[in-house]
Amino acid sequence: MVSGTFVEAPPLALAGEAGVRPASRETGRSRARRLAPPYLYLLPAVVLLVVWTYQPLAQTFVLSLHSWNLVPSTPMEPVGLANYEQLLSTPELGRSVWRTVVVILGMLPFTVLIPVAVALLTRRVRGRAQGVYRALVFAPMLVAPVAGAAVWQWLLDPSAGAVNRILGTDVNWLNTTGTAQLAIIVITGWHVAGFAVLVVTAGLAGINPDYAAAAKVDGASRGQVTRWVTLPLLSPTLAFLVLMTVLLSAQWTFPLIDTLTQGGPVGSTTNLYYLLWEYGFRSHDAGLAAAAGVLFFAGFIVVAAVLTRLAERLSHHDD
Amino acid sequence: MTTDEAVGEGSRARRLGGHLVLGVLSLLCAFPVYWLYATSLRAPEDVYSLSVLPWPLSTASYAEAFATSDVLGMLLNTGVVAVLSALGQLLIALLAAYAFAAWRFPFRRLLYLLFVGTWLVPFQATMLPNYVLLSRLGLLETLAGVIIPTLCSALGVLLLREHLNGFPKELLDAARMDGRSSWSTLWTVVVPALRPALAALGILLAITAWNEYFWPAMVLQRSNAVVQLGLRSFLGTEGNDWGPLMAMAGLACLPVFVLYLVLQRHIVNAFVRSGLK
Repeated sequence: MVSGTFVEAPPLALAGEAGVRPASRETGRSRARRLAPPYLYLLPAVVLLVVWTYQPLAQTFVLSLHSWNLVPSTPMEPVGLANYEQLLSTPELGRSVWRTVVVILGMLPFTVLIPVAVALLTRRVRGRAQGVYRALVFAPMLVAPVAGAAVWQWLLDPSAGAVNRILGTDVNWLNTTGTAQLAIIVITGWHVAGFAVLVVTAGLAGINPDYAAAAKVDGASRGQVTRWVTLPLLSPTLAFLVLMTVLLSAQWTFPLIDTLTQGGPVGSTTNLYYLLWEYGFRSHDAGLAAAAGVLFFAGFIVVAAVLTRLAERLSHHDD
Repeated sequence: MTTDEAVGEGSRARRLGGHLVLGVLSLLCAFPVYWLYATSLRAPEDVYSLSVLPWPLSTASYAEAFATSDVLGMLLNTGVVAVLSALGQLLIALLAAYAFAAWRFPFRRLLYLLFVGTWLVPFQATMLPNYVLLSRLGLLETLAGVIIPTLCSALGVLLLREHLNGFPKELLDAARMDGRSSWSTLWTVVVPALRPALAALGILLAITAWNEYFWPAMVLQRSNAVVQLGLRSFLGTEGNDWGPLMAMAGLACLPVFVLYLVLQRHIVNAFVRSGLK
């Protein structure tokens, strides 16, 4: 059979032809034709990837060492590491990093704690009801961020909003320094919690039930099984959710901040992500924004490396 | 099954507790969506009403939204962006995934890592050069400028490759014995077998493109060509007109919700799979 060679080298297209001809007499041209197909299939994707992801990434590195105002006709001036120095010395940066940390910590209940509780609870409920709960919890995920922003602005409206009228308060949620960040976190949490529930549910479904059964036979209570068997086996899923939260929280909040608070009041919702946007597109200082982008990229790599290492260490429970 | 049995044998109280917590949570999650549509369907004088049911029903808010902005044009534009973007991503990802699954070739691993690596490149790190490139190409403020940079979906490549890895090699071999070219094998053997996966991924990509905000906001600037941006221009101005705003937001979500009602299971599966890779 030829099944072994299929994945080795000869492509589908010219297999018959190439098979007849001895390899030693293969001309350069037919060799090219034999090797070309996988590259041709990859070509569109790779070209797009290079043009729209990797080449701009390299340009961002270069740009971060220059001063430029984004106007094509003005030249870029090399300034060395000045952008990084300016960035790392802005008092605003430290504050925005701290706010990013707050957002990430504030998101963890929505992306990890509540989803785990809900997924464990849905196991108790079966049949049609389970599907209905899941469909309802998942629905916010499908709401466009701007539409979500619109309805929450309405719900949180200081005078006529449903939240104040139901709670009997008159808080201007989105325009008060203390509550604006909280509101952004809750709205973002509302958007993504359903997704996290589904991820945990899938994680639970992938756990071999024999472990729990064995623990039960040994006399473990339900709580003990959950604590000492199910949760450890679920740890790769939990690690994934934490990684997702850390990397993407600030990104998820962006459309909400841009439409609801514009980083305010008095900068209280300006996280790192929004700060970058402002540097690049409000101040028209491209070099500064690029330097911030590079720092962001470096941060992504460090966080991802640490958390993947962590996930790997945790994931050989189920061997 | 066995865990279900083991857990299910619990008392009624446990199950009731589960229903209670889940019921409250589901209501909290669904309430804003319900309130959005409820407000949009109230008569103008009832907009501030707190009654749960919007009664009498009225389409005045929708009429107002249609009168003040080109809602149909926006929905159409967004639809074009979503469909073209999803189809383009699907086709390009299918070709790339096919290459990875059916051949071994030099630099295969490296090329694959190129796709995986995109996960680590935040949007911030590429947006400025991309913006400049689009402006050089004269694609700013055009729908093409919104679509083209999104056409390579690393997620799509990885997911489809995953599916193709489970694809029986014998079928590919049989097609080759029949003397078919790799191109015709792709379309007559692989694509029909992959149809469910392609459909799920396509829906996921279309919904994502429909709801996309960041990139269109950059490319289209302050124009309102797509519905997410049109909605934004309604927001933030002092003294919102809540009825028409909710009508507009409702329309912006409607196509996605209709898809969700029809294809619920597939959509949920597609989202979960995408998250697990």
